Amino acid sequence: QDAPTLRFSAVFSDQDIRAGMMGQFADAVRDIATIEPYYGGTLFRQGTELVALQRGNLEMGNIAPQDISNQIPEWSLLTSAYLFRDAEHLRAFFESEVGEEFKQMAEDQLGIHILGPTYFGARQVGLRIDKEIQTPADMEGVRLRMPGGDAWQFLGSAIGANPTPMDYAEVYTGLQTGAIDGQDNPLPNVQNMKFYEVMDQIVLTSHLIGYDLLVISSDAWNAMSAEDQEAFQAAASEAINWSQAEHIAMEEQLIGEFEAAGLKIYEPDQDAFRAYAQEQYLNSDISASWPEGALEAINAL
Amino acid sequence: MIFLDPFFLCIVSILALAILGLPIGLSMIAGSILYLFMSGLDMGIAAEQFLNRMYSNYIILAVPLFILAAEFMNTGSLSDRLLAWCNAVVGRFRGGLAQVNVLQSMVFAGMSGSAIADAAGTGKMIYSLMTRDGKYPASFAAALTASSAVIGPIIPPSIPMVLYALVSDASIGYLFLGGIVPGAIMGVSLAIIVYFKARTNDFPVEDPVPLRELPRITWTSLPALMMPVVLLFCIYSGITTPTEAAAVAAAYALIISIVLYRSISLKSFYRSLVTSSKTTVSIGMLIAGALVLNYVVTVENIPATLSVILTEWNLDPVAFLIFVNVVLLLLGCMLEGTAIILIIVPVLVPSAAALGIDLVHFGVVVVINVMIGLITPPYGMLLFVMQSISRAKLRHIVGDTLPFLGALLVALMLFTFVPDTVLWLPRMFGYQG
Amino acid sequence: MSGLLRIGRWLAARAENILALMLGAMFALFILQIVFRYGLRMQSGWAYELSAVLWVWIVLFGTTFVLRSRDDVRLDIIYSAVSSRTRRIMTVITAVALVALFGLALPAIIDYVLFMKVEKTAYLKFRYDYVYSIFIVFTVVTMARYIWRAGVAVWGKQADDEIEGPAK
Ligand code: NA
Ligand code: NA
Repeated sequence: QDAPTLRFSAVFSDQDIRAGMMGQFADAVRDIATIEPYYGGTLFRQGTELVALQRGNLEMGNIAPQDISNQIPEWSLLTSAYLFRDAEHLRAFFESEVGEEFKQMAEDQLGIHILGPTYFGARQVGLRIDKEIQTPADMEGVRLRMPGGDAWQFLGSAIGANPTPMDYAEVYTGLQTGAIDGQDNPLPNVQNMKFYEVMDQIVLTSHLIGYDLLVISSDAWNAMSAEDQEAFQAAASEAINWSQAEHIAMEEQLIGEFEAAGLKIYEPDQDAFRAYAQEQYLNSDISASWPEGALEAINAL
Repeated sequence: MIFLDPFFLCIVSILALAILGLPIGLSMIAGSILYLFMSGLDMGIAAEQFLNRMYSNYIILAVPLFILAAEFMNTGSLSDRLLAWCNAVVGRFRGGLAQVNVLQSMVFAGMSGSAIADAAGTGKMIYSLMTRDGKYPASFAAALTASSAVIGPIIPPSIPMVLYALVSDASIGYLFLGGIVPGAIMGVSLAIIVYFKARTNDFPVEDPVPLRELPRITWTSLPALMMPVVLLFCIYSGITTPTEAAAVAAAYALIISIVLYRSISLKSFYRSLVTSSKTTVSIGMLIAGALVLNYVVTVENIPATLSVILTEWNLDPVAFLIFVNVVLLLLGCMLEGTAIILIIVPVLVPSAAALGIDLVHFGVVVVINVMIGLITPPYGMLLFVMQSISRAKLRHIVGDTLPFLGALLVALMLFTFVPDTVLWLPRMFGYQG
Repeated sequence: MSGLLRIGRWLAARAENILALMLGAMFALFILQIVFRYGLRMQSGWAYELSAVLWVWIVLFGTTFVLRSRDDVRLDIIYSAVSSRTRRIMTVITAVALVALFGLALPAIIDYVLFMKVEKTAYLKFRYDYVYSIFIVFTVVTMARYIWRAGVAVWGKQADDEIEGPAK
């Protein structure tokens, strides 16, 4: 039997580190399957890949956890602020017992098999104003651009800001002209989109560990032999390891570059931010759907 | 067997259905369904791509808003004021009305998003002025009106540039800025041709509007003249996004018409909504059809394949741009402009980017190219519009268009080879590229 | 028959009202959004979301119920040049092709739209199967219209520019 062709769709461009990850992965599984990648959202628009997977129009994807939480409310826990401390913690979670439970929900309810989380950087607050930010109280009145949708807007208010939705492509001019005071994105995006040119400072809030999920449809997964599945998973983990290390190295390097470019970069009182954010979430309707004890289990990891 | 290849059949069926008279948008959807069926793919993709891509594209919403703005301009007599002003300024010269026609297009260009709207709206008015009492030959007036309307979508606002931004991710704001200098140069080049034509054919001079009248006429038409400035100010001061600026343009035209010119009634307001919603629907279907077909083009890996071929040809950026110019002008003879920007251009953008061509420069060149395609025979939408207005023979209109076409092509060469003509202004406003 | 025609005209006029109203609402929402964001510094993602829904509905509702044959963007170079008899033949060919292809895709289209019940819009929490349901209406009514057009082209007496569906 011929190796099956697996169509993979992602929003990131073919220049992205994660495209390199996919190239490496495709090479490693060449004997098991042919990966057919489509980058830049050309095959399916951002946010529509999950339904495409569910309907059999796609075999693999790089899915945002926010998209999964649209259909599985329990998953909104995994999109909340200050849940994961860093990429290591994130990986540990997905390999833990409680992580297995979440993966099983996706398998049962959506028909997708999760290969692992693809880290792309911690979200940091970047501002065009020179106000010093130490606690959530300092964020009061700051018009912070956040991605559209209630969940993202809530994240903005959970770190004390006044969140404003704006199209990603408009953010540069928004910062330049003062339509917004700041944005929150991982540092590699800040470099990609040249936001640093129109910002004064970066507050290392690390309020959300940015990650997507490398997934394969259960149909495609179950069609493989146990042996192939094992090799497939091993290749995925290895490619993810590489991409994660690249991102972490890049974040460190970028801090130096941005500082050299004249930006003020500092860490605020993380504990104050974490306490405030988790309290906001726990007091809202969002946390009503969180599985009992999951937050504590993750904190304990 | 190429004849049984799904992609081949898809393209053939689209062309056949369109030539047999099916609306182009529906033809593209039907052809894409045929492809999905023959490839054994989910035909629900036709709905999926149509709906998701129409629903979640923020900048696409500028299209209906610019259409609305242009309609308010016409209904609310802003267009008439501009015409009166143009006449007061250049009517006094030989071939004055012909010069008014050119100037009017440059000024109106700042309001309307589309060339067709320019030709069918104010173009129609000035055409009838020119041909009244047999002052100018009908075919010459029609040719000039069509040629000058080409400038409409080069000087902002511009629906074609919005569509280019959609397929290339280039910034609309900088594309708009990039069109201003080329649009002005194109206007001047047409004016030069008119100047010589007027001398050899002894075209009439208009009764000059006394110069002392000029300040008053300028004053009353100032709000209309200020519209592009207001629009660009909104975008660059960060008050609004470019998409919202389209809404501001419409609101501005509406408010001026109501408050200053008192020329819009509730009834004519409603008529404008009806007219522009119909235009919105027909252009919207065209856009949606192209978005559905784009899925087929992506699955077939056409942009990557073309990029590989072009790399093998080892074209340098200049040769590539010439190649693009020739291809687009040829396509413009056969296809409609929106379809070219939405279907053909996305295939070219990756190659342009790979060659290090600036995507704002590329976009402006492409849009100018496509607009010139509107007056190149045999298929030129502007030629048809002017034929239906003038009832002159198409071949006479085409003949009179040739000198203008030549001038515009020379200008196009200039913008192609000297990127600074396009990029100078965007860079003044902070464009890095 | 004339009673039926009158009802048809009345419906067509109402469809036009609705279309114009939708565009007007979209325009108003944009203005509102600008005022909210920059004047009152409040967020108005819902206004944007509603205008995006309206945009999809304007295009599909308009093309289904309001647009007449002459409003469409088409390559009429040949269509307008040939004899009335040839044009009728062309109309029948395109109608048969369109009805066949749309009919072929209809089950999958319905399946997709119904599937979208699993997702909701980001702000107003509209179910996507409702938002997208207009596409099913578009597919079905367009098929009906083209069956009608083909029928008129074969058996009808009126001038072919006026060949139009019943809902017009
Ligand atoms: Na003109
Ligand atoms: Na314009």
